[in-house]
Amino acid sequence: MRGIVLEWKKEKRTGILPAFLGGGILAGAVPLANMAFRSEMYLKQYTPWMQVSRTPFAILLDANWQMMAMLNMLLVVTGACLLYHTEYADNGLQKMRTLPLWEGTCFLGKTVLLFFLSLLLLAIEAGAIAFCAGHWFEGAMEGISAWLELGLYFGYAFLRMVPCILLSLLVAEACRNMWISLGIGVLCLFTATLLPAQVMSSGKIQFLAFFPFAMPFRMTTDMEGILENVAGGMWDLYAAAIWAAVLVLAGWLYRKGRRAWA
Amino acid sequence: MYMMETCNLTKTYEGFTAVSNVSLHIPQGAVYGFLGPNGAGKSTTMKMFLGLTRPTSGSFTIDGRQYPRDRMEILRKVGSFIEAPAFYGNLSGEENLDVIRQILGLPKSAVTEVLELVGLTPFRKRLARKYSLGMKQRLGLAGALIGHPPVLILDEPTNGLDPVGIHEIRNLIRSLPQRYDCTVLVSSHLLSEVELMADNIGILNHGHLLFEGTLEDLKSSAASQGYPTDNLEDTFLAMVDADNRQRGVTR
Repeated sequence: MRGIVLEWKKEKRTGILPAFLGGGILAGAVPLANMAFRSEMYLKQYTPWMQVSRTPFAILLDANWQMMAMLNMLLVVTGACLLYHTEYADNGLQKMRTLPLWEGTCFLGKTVLLFFLSLLLLAIEAGAIAFCAGHWFEGAMEGISAWLELGLYFGYAFLRMVPCILLSLLVAEACRNMWISLGIGVLCLFTATLLPAQVMSSGKIQFLAFFPFAMPFRMTTDMEGILENVAGGMWDLYAAAIWAAVLVLAGWLYRKGRRAWA
Repeated sequence: MYMMETCNLTKTYEGFTAVSNVSLHIPQGAVYGFLGPNGAGKSTTMKMFLGLTRPTSGSFTIDGRQYPRDRMEILRKVGSFIEAPAFYGNLSGEENLDVIRQILGLPKSAVTEVLELVGLTPFRKRLARKYSLGMKQRLGLAGALIGHPPVLILDEPTNGLDPVGIHEIRNLIRSLPQRYDCTVLVSSHLLSEVELMADNIGILNHGHLLFEGTLEDLKSSAASQGYPTDNLEDTFLAMVDADNRQRGVTR
C-alpha cells in the first residue's frame, strides 16, 4: 500500500489524472455522439418483443467499442510512458535503486496505479453507455440486472486490458527514452487495429487474437458468449491470465538480468 | 576497524577494465578522499558499493555486511550521491526528500532538518527542475544525508557549486564524522579540495590503486620515489603521469 501511495505522490503535476479523466470523457462522448446523430440505426436492432434480441449494451458496444478501446489503449500506452518518464527524466529511478527498496516495488506500484486509472476510464465510459441505454432504449436500465450486465461487460473489458497494461509498463521500464516506448506502444496498437477481426476469429492466424494489444478490441461477441454460458467465450480471460503471469515473470527476469549485467 | 573494505575489487566491461584489483581500507569515522583523473574508475567503484554495478570479481564489506548477500542491509546504512543529482523534476525539493523519508521510514522532521543543513530551506517549495545546478547538488546531498546514515558515499559533491557553496559543503562534509559519527567516502579529481577535508586518501588511475594512506604518508612516499612534494597537486600529477608512462598511455 505504501508503494502505491509513493507512486501516486511521484506523479504529482505530471497531468496523468486529467489525461485519464479527459480521455474517459472523450471515449464516453463517442457513443453519445453516435446516438445523438444516428440513433435510428441502432434502435431498429433493438427488438425486445422478439425472442432473439440483442441487449442495448451489446448494440451500443458493438457500434462504439472499437473507437473507445482504441482511445483506452492509447491512454494506457501514454500513461505507462508518463509513469516511467518521471523516473528517467531527472534520474529519479537511480536514486530509488540506491535506497533499501525491493526493485519490483516501483513496477508493482505503477501497475496498481495504472489499473486504478484504467478503471476510472472504464467507469466514465460505462456511465456514458448507461446514459445512452437509459435515454434511447426504453426500459433498458430498469432493474438491477441491467446494471449487473453493464458491470460484467466493463469488468470483462478491464480484464482484457490487463496484459496490455503490463506490457506497456514493461516496455516503458525497459526504455530510458520515452519516445521509444511510446513508439513501440503506438506501433503495437496500430498492428492490433490492422488485424482483421474475421480472420482472427476463424482463420489460421486465430492465435493473433490473443496479442495483448488486440484483446481489448474484441468485446461484444465474446461477452454475449459469456452471458450465454458458452465456454469458448472464456478463452480470452484465460489468455489474459496467462499473459499477465508471463509478463510479470518477464519483468522479474528483466530486473534480475539488468542487475546481473550492470 | 574498517567501516568499508574491498578485496581485489574488479569491474570489466567488454575488453575494458574500469576497476582492477582495488583493495581499499576506509577507517570508521574518517573522511576518505577518493582521487583520480576523469575515467579513473572512481564512480564505477562507488556504484559497485551501491549495487548499481555488479563487480566482475572481488568482494567488499560495509560495516561488516557482505555484498551481495546483505545488499539491503548495506543500502539501509549508506547515504549516497552518485555522479549527477538524481531527483523528480516535477516535485519540489521538499517533496523529493519526503519520498526518500517515507522509504527510509524516518520522521517528518528529518526533511526539515536536512533542508536546513544544506541551506535549501528558503527554496523547499520550488520545483526541483527549476533549481540551479548548485541547488540540485545540494538537493542530492540532502538526499544522501537524510536520516544520518553511518556511511556516506559522495561522488564529486561540489560539482557545479560556486566558491562559497564549495566552501560551505566542504566544511559540512568535514564536520559530518563529528556531528553524526559517520564515515564519508568522497571522490574528486581536485587534490586541493580533498586535501582540505580528507583524513585518508586513495589515488586511482586507469582502475589501479596507486596509493592509499594519510596525506603525510603520501608526502613521504612521494619523496622516496623522487616526486615533487612541495605542492600536493604536483605530487598527484607526477604520480599519475608516471603511472600513465609506465602503462604506455598518453593523455
